Amino acid sequence: MRDSTKQDSASRADSIALVRELEHLQGGAARGDSGSAPPAAAIPSTGPTNPRLLPDFSAVGDLVGDLSPKGSTQPDQTRFGVREVELAIQAAVDPYFRGDVFLGISDLESISIEQAYLTTTNLPYGLEVRLGRFLMPVGKENTTHRHDLHTIEYPYVIQRFLSDDGLKGTGVWLSKIFSPFGFYQELQLTAVDRFGDRPDSLITPEPPNKELGGLTYSARLRNYVDLSESTNFELSASAISGKREQPLSPGYTDPTLGAINALNARQTVVGADLTYRWRPLQQGLYKSFILQGEVMRQLNERDVDLPSGQSYDGPVRNYTGGYVFARYQLTARGFLGARYDQLQDPMAAGGNTRAGSAYLEFFPSEFSKLVAAYERYVPPSAVAAATNRILLQATFSLGPHKPHPF
Amino acid sequence: MLSINDRVSLSLRILMKNTFAKVRPFLTAAIALAAVTAFSRPALAQLNVVTSTTDLADIAKSVGGAHVNVKHIGEGYQDPHFVEAKPSFVLQLRNADVWAFVGLDLEIGWMPLLLDGARNPKIRLGGSGYLDVSSVIPVLDRPSGNVDRSQGDVHPLGNPHYWLDPDNGKRIAHLFQTKFSQLDPGNSAAYQSNERAFDAKLDAAMRALVPALAKIKDQPVVAWHTSWRYFAEYTHMNIVGFMEPKPGVPPSPSHLAGLIQTMRRTNAKVIVMEPFYDRKTADFVASRTGAKVLILPPSVGGIRSVNDYIGLLTYDITQLASTF
Repeated sequence: MRDSTKQDSASRADSIALVRELEHLQGGAARGDSGSAPPAAAIPSTGPTNPRLLPDFSAVGDLVGDLSPKGSTQPDQTRFGVREVELAIQAAVDPYFRGDVFLGISDLESISIEQAYLTTTNLPYGLEVRLGRFLMPVGKENTTHRHDLHTIEYPYVIQRFLSDDGLKGTGVWLSKIFSPFGFYQELQLTAVDRFGDRPDSLITPEPPNKELGGLTYSARLRNYVDLSESTNFELSASAISGKREQPLSPGYTDPTLGAINALNARQTVVGADLTYRWRPLQQGLYKSFILQGEVMRQLNERDVDLPSGQSYDGPVRNYTGGYVFARYQLTARGFLGARYDQLQDPMAAGGNTRAGSAYLEFFPSEFSKLVAAYERYVPPSAVAAATNRILLQATFSLGPHKPHPF
Repeated sequence: MLSINDRVSLSLRILMKNTFAKVRPFLTAAIALAAVTAFSRPALAQLNVVTSTTDLADIAKSVGGAHVNVKHIGEGYQDPHFVEAKPSFVLQLRNADVWAFVGLDLEIGWMPLLLDGARNPKIRLGGSGYLDVSSVIPVLDRPSGNVDRSQGDVHPLGNPHYWLDPDNGKRIAHLFQTKFSQLDPGNSAAYQSNERAFDAKLDAAMRALVPALAKIKDQPVVAWHTSWRYFAEYTHMNIVGFMEPKPGVPPSPSHLAGLIQTMRRTNAKVIVMEPFYDRKTADFVASRTGAKVLILPPSVGGIRSVNDYIGLLTYDITQLASTF
């Protein structure tokens, strides 16, 4: 390899010498200082790097292994599975919009539109509008693709209060950046079609979004502050509110609509998150530290109008949960992380679910990641016994170099 | 007999006519002033210039002088491939008139996030302030065949570390002069004068380094990363190997074993590396070969005493020459 490099260097040196001679002849005389700066025009043009205007195509593979001693803890009970392959198509659409499409392919959900949105590129006053489906800007981790997380799965508070694989919404996103106090602030507002996925088994007399007030609305205020060139923190607050289908029993039959077993009830999630980062610039390839925490509270509508003879099986209390995560960089490619989760679990009637997990991450390159994790999962004792989980993950990305997540 | 409406209408017309007669001189003056303003080439207060590196920032300051306000994103002592896309940088870019970057994918890991975040059409691709500096550089190491990631973190468009060749420094200065003159034609003469002064100062510095360059010529050295290729083209130092087996890939034991053999065979006695790489591995190789590890700043600010572009080149060349 080095020999060929040397030969290449020699031929390139010749070509550069030729360029310099041309510059000397063309530019030097005109500028009257033959030994001085070469004009830019003398450099041969290489033409556009993408003459056919093709969009960027890329793929991310997310493979998960589950070696838990008492059986797989994956939803499909697999020991080794392809959790997801994400295909991305991204490009400028025209002078006004950029387009991003992310398709998710998995054994559980076959193919689905994970995200697909237009983003404005030319609005004034620091405004940006996004139209389509996107990860909802609620909390810190929810806006990160699952395969880009520092952990293998989303924190439990996000899984229970928002969605297992990140809450998405389809609608309008408006964002504005400002800095009246000298640091970065961003307000993100959304109005989307519904709160989470439509549950197949729940049928309501009318869709949650029949009235505009039934749409789901969210707001997030980001505050980012540099403490020094190597340390910074982000303190943000989020809220999301919308109507969701909640179960009724025993259900009833509507003469025109058929079997009804659910009604729409408002659910609101409010939260705050804090992320502290340390990365000394000169040793940044080898040393870094992140401390992150989120707390969320889920507020559920209790005074629902019940049809006669029906009882409400939806949540009748509020729930609180959160997590703390820390990650320390051991070497250029190795990281050690740990997370502690605790929440009043809606899936366990509000009982306390706790989990502690540790992660060893290894990045062979920027384009692949290997993770080994141990987790002690402790649900309320009345619900299930504590579980030890051993998880493995490998992710890889193909295609153009993507920006590093921050 | 006029109706009330007609009287009101007539009164208004007379009032407007009288008023217009009074304000006509002022109106004429205002229109003339607007026309002069519109078609003249006014000097802007200051161009806001943001650069990706300290080297570009220093050259921009040299060319722009007092007419530009220059900030930079990366520091000279950090790896320019791995700058973090902090939101605070978005605030710098939000009001930039010019965004000048090295290009050739050097900033691909962070620039897209910052440009998207800044929401500033002037500095997006196609905008008047989007300045890909590599467009005026004769690029080294542009792959001629197929490339893929098995070759490491290759730059498919070529080697982006071109600022360490002073001839490229002049090309960069000329590009800045052209761009600043285009955006701020009223100060064009000042930009041209500043560019000439920069070139003259750089030429003088390089002339003073001729003896040092003579000592460096053809000397075998090992570099950590391909960032010293342009420097080698200018100084004619002979890079016989790299600490990285492939671009961006940390040294492996087997690669180091081969490199040690190469160094012994070629009598390479210097390992050149940047301040942001781990020195322990280089020290190990040096201990097996009797070589010296020479930490050279690749950019302005890479060490505390190097605070301008010409000083950077002077420091690197004199330090390297002193090892032979």
